[in-house]
This record gives sequence, C-alpha cells and structure tokens, in this order.
Amino acid sequence: MSSGSLGELSKMTAPTATERKVCWGARDKYWQCLDETNEDFSLCQKFRTLFEGSCPPQWIKYFDKRRDYLKYKAKMQSGGYQSQESTSKL
Amino acid sequence: MIAEKGSQGTGNGDNWIRNVDWLEGGSVDWLQELSEERGNAGDRGLQLVRSPSGFISVGQQETDSALGHRADQNISPVGRPDVKMYQRLASCILQDQHLGSIQFLKQMAFQMKALSNGGDVVLRNVRSKTNWISSGTEWHLQARSAITKCNYKALKHLGTNLFSCSCSKRVLPSKRSTILPAQIIGNLVNSSLKSVPLLTIHKATSQCMREQLQLPGVGKFLRTHSLFNSCHLAQRVMSATPGNLILLTHRPFSKSSADKSLRGSAGRQQMTLRSKFLVTFLFGAVALGSWFYVHLEKKQQKKLRRQEQLKKLALGQGDFNLLDHTGRPRTKSDFFGQWVLLYFGFTHCPDICPDEMEKMSNAVHILDKDRTLPSVQPIFITVDPERDGVDEMGKYIKDFHTRMIGLTGTTEQISELGKAYRVYYSAGPKDEDNDYIVDHTIIIYLLNPDGLFIDYYNRSKSDQEIAESIRGHMKTYVQLFS
Repeated sequence: MSSGSLGELSKMTAPTATERKVCWGARDKYWQCLDETNEDFSLCQKFRTLFEGSCPPQWIKYFDKRRDYLKYKAKMQSGGYQSQESTSKL
Repeated sequence: MIAEKGSQGTGNGDNWIRNVDWLEGGSVDWLQELSEERGNAGDRGLQLVRSPSGFISVGQQETDSALGHRADQNISPVGRPDVKMYQRLASCILQDQHLGSIQFLKQMAFQMKALSNGGDVVLRNVRSKTNWISSGTEWHLQARSAITKCNYKALKHLGTNLFSCSCSKRVLPSKRSTILPAQIIGNLVNSSLKSVPLLTIHKATSQCMREQLQLPGVGKFLRTHSLFNSCHLAQRVMSATPGNLILLTHRPFSKSSADKSLRGSAGRQQMTLRSKFLVTFLFGAVALGSWFYVHLEKKQQKKLRRQEQLKKLALGQGDFNLLDHTGRPRTKSDFFGQWVLLYFGFTHCPDICPDEMEKMSNAVHILDKDRTLPSVQPIFITVDPERDGVDEMGKYIKDFHTRMIGLTGTTEQISELGKAYRVYYSAGPKDEDNDYIVDHTIIIYLLNPDGLFIDYYNRSKSDQEIAESIRGHMKTYVQLFS
C-alpha cells in the first residue's frame, strides 16, 4: 500500500486481498496477546508494532475501536452491567 | 365309569361308578360317549382302563414298545389321545362339569402310565425320559398358575388347589411336582378353599411362585406334570388319590362360554393393552401432526407478511446508469430477467465488506451447484465513488465470485442510488494519508428478475441461509412482466 502525501489528489490504493489477510493475521495475533495477558499492552508491544506495520492507519484506528466495542459487548452479555442482567432475567 | 372290554383291568363298571359317584352328573355320560366312540372308531377309539392299583387311563390302543420295559399286566396301554377327546374333555371341564377318573393325555406330548407296583406312578412324556417318583420325598411346587373360574369349581369339588405348571415355554415335565396324598385331598374337600383365587391370570413372564410343600408321606405319590406352556392360558390340575387320577385341563380353543370368557378377558386384556398403545400412539401422532401443520402455516404466513411489507417499501425504484468494473455502462434494465444480489460497500473497507462479499459469493456458489435454478448475479456497488473508480473496482472484485460485477459512478449517481435503496453511507474523517473509513449499512439486497426488491440479508445471515432464502423466493416467483 502506498502512503502518498501528495496532497488532496492522492489516492491510496486499497489493500489487496493478500494484504488484507496479512493485516488481519497481525491483528489477530495482537488481539490474542491482549486476551492472554488480560489487556496488558506492555507485554504485547511486539505484536502491536507488527500490527501497525501491516495495516493502514485508518484500519488500525478502526480495529482498535472495534476491539473496544467487542470487549464492551462481552461485558454486557456476561452481566457486567447489573441492571441489564436483571431485566433480561424477567 | 365304564370298564372297557378288552382292557386289562380287573375293575368292573360298578366299582368305577362308585368311585366317581361323588362327582356331578354329566361326566358319566361323557365317559359313555367316549367309550362308544372308541367302539366306532376302531383303532382310534378310546379305552378306559382301570388297573388294580386304582389308576385309570384313557388312550388309544396302540402298541408302544417304549412302554414295554415296565410292563406289568396291569398296565394299560396308552397312546396318542384323540384330539377330539381332548377338546371334549376341555369343554367338559369348562362347562363346569367334572370329570371322573380320567386320565387325560395331551396330544403327542404326554403319556401317562399307571403302574400298580407299590403305588409308583410313571408319568412319561413321549418327548422326554421317564421320571420316577418315589414315595416319602419332599416335593416342591414348581409353579402356580391361574385357576379359572371353571377350574375352581372343579377344584373345589375335587379338593385341591395345588397344581403344577411350568412357566417356561417348553413342555417339559418337571421333576418336582406337587403330590397330594389321599388324606389331604379328603380334607380339602371338606374344608373351604378360600385361598383359591378366582380368575387369577398370570402373565407368561411372571415369576413362578415356589412353595415348599411338605406332605406326610402315605406311601403313594403321584406325579403331576404341566402340559401347557404359558401359565395364564393353561392350567393343569392334577389330583391324585389312590383310587383316582384326575387331570383337568383348560384349553384356549375350547368352545365353552367359560373358556371364552376367560380367554376373552385374557385376550381382551392383551388386546386392550395393545389397543391402548395403538390409540395413544395415534393420538400422539395426530397431535404432533396437527401441531406441525399449524407451525408450518404460521411460518408461511410470517413469510408472506414480510414479503408484503418489503414490497410496500418498494426499494430501488428508478433506474441507474453506472459503469461496471470493465468500464461498460450498465443500467437497471440490463439485469432484468436475472436474480440479483446487491451489496453496497467500498474497497478500503477493513473487514466487513470482504466478509460480506465472501458470504455473497459463497451463497451464489451454493446456488450455482443446483443446475435447476437460474443463476444469480452478484453486484458490488461502491459507496465511495471518489476513491473507487473502474480500476479499483476491477481489482477489488476479482478476489470474489467470477460473475461478480462492480458498479461505480459519479458521486451524484451513487447518491441517488443510495437514496433509492435507502442505503446509509457516510465517509469518516480523513487522516493524514487522506484515508478514511466509510460508515454504511451492511445489507445484501435481493432483486427478482423483474428488478423488484424482495428481500434483504444482514450480517447475521450465513451464506447457507441466504442461499436457502433465495431458493425459496425462486420457487414462489411468479413472473410479473413478460
């Protein structure tokens, strides 16, 4: 992928299928590390670097947001939010 | 009783009648008949013989070499009994008549031989070896079988409620059988037999009860055998006195009413159980079937309602004029006559668009396998026309289904199209590389060959589900425009 800084006319070409897969693989590894270390960023720096190197910056931002969302959803579903759980029991 | 001519017994008619005159009438006539029959049938006639020891046997006159080894001039030859006699005997019993001292023989299964030496009796089954009983031995009741109403009266009269029957399916004589000495029988006659149950039916699988019966030896014992298989249908009662040997049987094929009632009830009981099962099963099947039918109906109704709603929505009105990934202009009418799957996305999409495109391709692949179905046209339309031109579209879609078409156009064209399909899309903030993510609705649209929108599939639908849904629509599709 090209990171052009040629002004507003620059068009970044979208990642190809292979590039996408590489990016997803790095992301998965990074997320796996976070899962294992319980969100300990310091232990997963290596993966983070790899991740950032494999994916466009927009994607990294997007994936980070996605991870937050997924974590939040998991917490909700497991009853992290008490009142929701009680209403669902009704 | 009738003493038969040609018999080896020395008893005369008077003696015999005396022995049995405590029995009810009717049996004597019967015996008379039997003996007459013998006369008529010749060889196959019946013979009533009484030996000095007091045993009476009935049977065909037939030489039986096997009997020879215990030959005794008092032995009465016995052979295969007449079936008719057997039946008659059964009917006689069941009509609440009582038999006199008749030795009953089961057809082809049993032989009884009365010996007069020392009171020993040999009961022999033609199929098995001879079993001897000696006096003074304790005997166990092998089993107890049911007593029919018919038998009960007979038993009462005869004074015994003990009998032996085997609960197995095999006709085997049991080595241990009940034996009643004369005195006990005599006592029983006089006492009431409260313990004799009425119409007790044992099922064939029930456990035989074992009872140890200790009788004071009197030096004369008789052996009893059961001649039938199942406990509940056949009971045999034997009671023996030094003067009489009586065997009562109850056969299921008898024509008497008592037998019918018993057999009927036993049969009815069996039938009732079976018919109960059948009825329950039928009920269950009907209930299940009707529930299922209602369930299907409900599903169908739901489906129709959904379709109606979507039709009302009438998405995708109006035409479009876009460029495909080869640069060729395409309008809506180009796709008339084909089933179309539409997906709105953009090539810079991180993960969702590739996933959905993959799903769409798989669904089309699944439908491709079925040659009877028309082919489905997958289309990818960009919501990011600034970046996704013809070339970009071409590069992007080649990773997916071969028939996939990518459509792009000017910003205005895409905007109009988006409005028509109510596709929400909104480009996010640009970063320093001018990269941005376009937020958009994640939906795959299905258009029928008339170009009308009829269904949609969101992220939660799998490729299989989408394929199935399209298949369903194809089946129910009725051509609107020719």
